[in-house]
Amino acid sequence: MTIDSRLRSLFSCTVLVALSGCGGPPPTPAQIAARAASLKPGDAHLAELYERSCRACHSEPRANAPLTGDRAAWKARLAKGRPALVQSVLTGVNGMPAGGQCFTCTPGEYDALIAFMADQDGR
Amino acid sequence: MTLSRRAALALGAAATGAAVVGGALGRRWWLDREPPSPPVSDAAGHLLWRNWSGIASCYPAMRAAPESEAALAELLRSAPAPIRPVGAGHSFTALVPTAGTLLSLDGLRGVVATDPATQQATVWAGTRLGDLGPALVAVGQEMLSLPDINKQSLGGAIGTGTHGTGAGYQAIHGNVMAFRLATARGDILECSPERNPEVFAAARVGAGAFGVITQVTLQNRPLTRVHKRVYVEPLEQVAAEWPVLSTVHDKVEFFAFPFSGLAAVIATDRTDAPLKPRGPDQDTDTLLSLMRLRDLLGPLPGLRRRVTHALMSGLPAEESVDDSWKLLSNERPVRFNEMEFHLPREAQMAALREVMQVIERGHSDVFFPLEVRSIAPDDAWLSPFYGRESGSLAIHAYYKDDYRSLFAAVEPILRRHGGRPHWGKLHSLRARDLAPLYPRWKDAMDVRRTLDPEGRFLNEHLHGLFVDG
Repeated sequence: MTIDSRLRSLFSCTVLVALSGCGGPPPTPAQIAARAASLKPGDAHLAELYERSCRACHSEPRANAPLTGDRAAWKARLAKGRPALVQSVLTGVNGMPAGGQCFTCTPGEYDALIAFMADQDGR
Repeated sequence: MTLSRRAALALGAAATGAAVVGGALGRRWWLDREPPSPPVSDAAGHLLWRNWSGIASCYPAMRAAPESEAALAELLRSAPAPIRPVGAGHSFTALVPTAGTLLSLDGLRGVVATDPATQQATVWAGTRLGDLGPALVAVGQEMLSLPDINKQSLGGAIGTGTHGTGAGYQAIHGNVMAFRLATARGDILECSPERNPEVFAAARVGAGAFGVITQVTLQNRPLTRVHKRVYVEPLEQVAAEWPVLSTVHDKVEFFAFPFSGLAAVIATDRTDAPLKPRGPDQDTDTLLSLMRLRDLLGPLPGLRRRVTHALMSGLPAEESVDDSWKLLSNERPVRFNEMEFHLPREAQMAALREVMQVIERGHSDVFFPLEVRSIAPDDAWLSPFYGRESGSLAIHAYYKDDYRSLFAAVEPILRRHGGRPHWGKLHSLRARDLAPLYPRWKDAMDVRRTLDPEGRFLNEHLHGLFVDG
């Protein structure tokens, strides 16, 4: 029993479903995390940007960011369209800080990084 | 007739209840909106920069990430001012915003040299703390102290006086043996207790206002294995035991939970026990659950306290055993704004009690715990720990919540107890307020003016801190 499991049990009550948003995201499978940790862009420049600014959160399940290569996690985000995702990166949203802490990235590079992380870059 | 009256009363009560619940839900929905963002670019097409929490922003005319110290020095001679170095953007204060040059240290990363005899390592200042842990493992070293978050750059962490916890442990800059400073003139100064000692003392914690620190020589130690134990106890008990806890554990801190009467103690001690890596993150889920409790029971503080206390008290301790650098820092994916003051250690618990009282009486929106730590003294002139044993007190506000009224209510308490603000965390102090807090303030300002007479590193915030505030 942990602090969180006790708190979760409170909010698993049906009367609180609407307020608490119970259920939450399912736990990240270990193999998805392992894959996220192993992937990096083929392009050397993009790989450097990814290493500097994206990898720390997008390869670490504890960071609660969509993991690199986890298509299921990226699907709903991609449904908004890549331009909207780039906009979110530039301004920051939820846990994502503005620019993903890459202070020299261009919008085009953000788009390419999103495509890579969402496993949509044709690999 | 009686039945009708009862029915009418029941209907009225139901309608009132529905209106109250609906109103509460509506208010929460309104408050939970994503804060408005500035435009992604300005009229001139300059791209937006924002800090991690989102409250500081700017549109720099120039962005640069030099790949060498020489390129950085050349850039400093001619780049448009204000020139503001940025590490990971984790400061909450407006240290970075500039309409001139945003200078990223991302091109200056990695370990330069190591010395196994002295257990020292020279590291590029743009290296993120989270990357430095595994890099030092390769040479059998670890940093003596690490902060709660390890996303910061080494240069940013040192320049703002970033710290961990442990009564016998100095902040990160306390373990800096030497550094190289690129000045506004484009010179590179080697600084240590022997070379340019006044610059070493003044610019070590300099908020990027003295120049740009490019390389840092850290005093490290051989890798250690530690046992980390997290347990919940009544806040008053922890506060009473704090002076003892601080001495019996190698490193210890606690999180005090408003509206619960409880605290979570995190104690870390050296061990030879078998590895027991920490499990999946629970802190984030706990925090979000506390937010939901706030959403539901915020208007009913008595009930909120009883429910939270019942849910959290008596939980078994969480235990892990691993390399120190793996256990000291944590992922903090829920963004927030923060105020932190460093107090004389003997004033820390009294200040905590007052702050908690202010929060519980008038700030029911707060659900983040207060973080309470200990830091050993050092001799950097602008270090908040200069010359005194310090106890820190950090107050957090969810990034969507109003932090201004909370921090405005808390800051006078922390100042009255002799607190010095963290350079990277929110406070309202200006030069006239800061000067009396730092015995070597005038000397430090003299060094700054000598190094940067034209104020090329000063943005509006720093001007208020160091020149005209």
